[in-house]
Amino acid sequence: MSLLVQSLILGILLGGLYALLAAGLTLYFGVMRVVMIAHSAFLILAAYLAWAFTRATGLDPLLSLVGTVPLFFLTGVLMQRLLISRLRPATLTMMSVLLTFAIALVIEGMLGFVWTGTQRRIQLPYGGANLEFAGVNIAVVKLIAFGLAAVSLLALYLLLTRTKMGQALRATIQHPEAARLVGINTDRVAGYGFGLGLATAAIGGTALALDSTIYPSLHWHWIGPLMAIIVVGGLGSIPGAAMAAMVLGLGQALLQIPLGTTWAQTCFYLALFVTLMVRPQGFFGGRLAQRF
Amino acid sequence: MKSPLFRLGVLSLALATTASLSACLSSETGGGGDGEGDPITIGISLPLTGDFSEPGKGVQRGYEAWAEWTNENGGLLGRDVELKILDDQSNADRVASDYERLINQDQVDLVFGPFSTRLVVPAAQVAQDYGFLFVEPAGAAPEVFDQGFDNLFYAAPAVADDHYDHLADYIEKMPAAQRPKTAAVAVMDDPFAMGTAYGLKARLEEMGVKILVDEVYPPNTTDFSGIAAKIADSGADIMVGGTQYQDAVNMILALQQLNYQPKMAAFSTAPTNPEFPQAIGSKTEGILSPTGYTPEADHETNAEFVDFYTEYAGTPPGEDEANAWTTGQVVAAAVEAVGCADPEPECQGELIDWLHENEVQTVVGPLTWDEAGRPESAHMIQQYVDGKIRIVLPEELAEAEIIPVKPAW
Repeated sequence: MSLLVQSLILGILLGGLYALLAAGLTLYFGVMRVVMIAHSAFLILAAYLAWAFTRATGLDPLLSLVGTVPLFFLTGVLMQRLLISRLRPATLTMMSVLLTFAIALVIEGMLGFVWTGTQRRIQLPYGGANLEFAGVNIAVVKLIAFGLAAVSLLALYLLLTRTKMGQALRATIQHPEAARLVGINTDRVAGYGFGLGLATAAIGGTALALDSTIYPSLHWHWIGPLMAIIVVGGLGSIPGAAMAAMVLGLGQALLQIPLGTTWAQTCFYLALFVTLMVRPQGFFGGRLAQRF
Repeated sequence: MKSPLFRLGVLSLALATTASLSACLSSETGGGGDGEGDPITIGISLPLTGDFSEPGKGVQRGYEAWAEWTNENGGLLGRDVELKILDDQSNADRVASDYERLINQDQVDLVFGPFSTRLVVPAAQVAQDYGFLFVEPAGAAPEVFDQGFDNLFYAAPAVADDHYDHLADYIEKMPAAQRPKTAAVAVMDDPFAMGTAYGLKARLEEMGVKILVDEVYPPNTTDFSGIAAKIADSGADIMVGGTQYQDAVNMILALQQLNYQPKMAAFSTAPTNPEFPQAIGSKTEGILSPTGYTPEADHETNAEFVDFYTEYAGTPPGEDEANAWTTGQVVAAAVEAVGCADPEPECQGELIDWLHENEVQTVVGPLTWDEAGRPESAHMIQQYVDGKIRIVLPEELAEAEIIPVKPAW
């Protein structure tokens, strides 16, 4: 019984982290139909920056967010303006896979070049700390990661629904031509959308670094599950991605008990296949045009 | 009348012909590689890029240091040794064609093995086909020795299954009341990691220890909270991890987060990594790990190796470097004893036969092999005692007293 409750809690915490890591990925697709293979590479880059920050200053890795979030936002805007926007609209989705694949390789190579392939982990004084109630242990670092995810997803949601820029962004997602007709500079908005996506990668990567061992090629392990999450959630829908992340995180944690780790991991791909067969537009989003 | 220019032309033509002719002649004597003063060439393929590039480079450093040391100390049979190292990119198809090329095209005199089980098996098959002696520094999993190779020798103290033998002996000798009664086993789906943990698991089962958790996870697993939840729920007395590196670190942190406190915790590979205490912090106390090599070990020739290597590379050698050096020592011992180093089947056959019958003194201790090339010693057991990793078993090599019950982490 306690194992079931414990796994349930772990699944919710894991789902929250997945939601944060996948949020940016679905945003890029929503705004620009870009498949961003390099998203997880940027996550690992942010994790490395947090690690390097802590190693150099001895301060808490969360403080590195002050620098990495604006840096990643700016990088995202520049990347969209200078690289992605030059791809031909007709082949954008296909070619963006190639382009961002190359960017992922460059990031992985640079990480290995600068910090070697040695596997690193931030040593936190509260790394193994846990809160216990009713026989269930909740790790402090996982709780922090979950909190980060909740706060940033809420902030993203409010930004998209309550601000002028968010409205412009959503208009661009729903109907770029109509948005242009009412005077929205869709090119600039797309740049901001990309920047926002990368800013979530900065937060997600730092959350990841709190509770995992990192190495340059780690991003290949993440991109598959994250892609599965956004397809199941409905491409371009942030609430959909969050919901799918929660369901799949819980599914993985609970399936682990009877099936073991190997089979529990396949739940992502099984969900992906089922989605593509039964409901290709995703379970939680509407049709692409009405996303968000 | 012929112009001076024409004469110059004839002269230079004649010179060029002589030069190329002599080049042909010298390459003829050099190509076979069996002339007296010529270097002995040793062919090696290593994973210098790809998945195994980190340990692959360690092995490369060990081989190169050994070659330099050998040449400084009179060479092999009075001849210098020369290494020819190719990069197999951690690819099993590539490693086979590399050894084909080394033996056929480059006509090397001897070969040394690559890194890791996955690459050792195809490489050893090529060496076997050509009748070459094949001493390898890193292929400890059972499948290496199940292929029926008679030319293969593993240059380390023990195969994966025997890594924990000293620990199992120690547990067996404990008074029955103190002995662990239950165990949790979590292993990576990897032949080496499985070999180590299942070797100990089998011994524990023989002693009547109940295995409460027996979990296998794929190498790409990054989240260990689920496995940790199962282990914590079982409350097993002893935790055995068949691990590499990041999996052990992530698993230990996940176990701490669930407040699981075993009486004994043993993990393969990771704890001996210098990065390990930096990742786990002060909570390493009492963690056990088998190791084939430490620079402190009191074996014949080890001090000389550590001094030479430290000066050569600037850092003390690790296990990969030591196993590479051991490979060099083993082949050198056979070559000096038999008195030949050439690709002819008679010479290679004699080298193989000699190693089957003799003991070799190496930096990892004296080595002998069974007919399949399994070394017949055991690994030392190390434990974190007072914040430092030290040898605790076997007693005759111990640097510190073993901590029988692990403090809380």
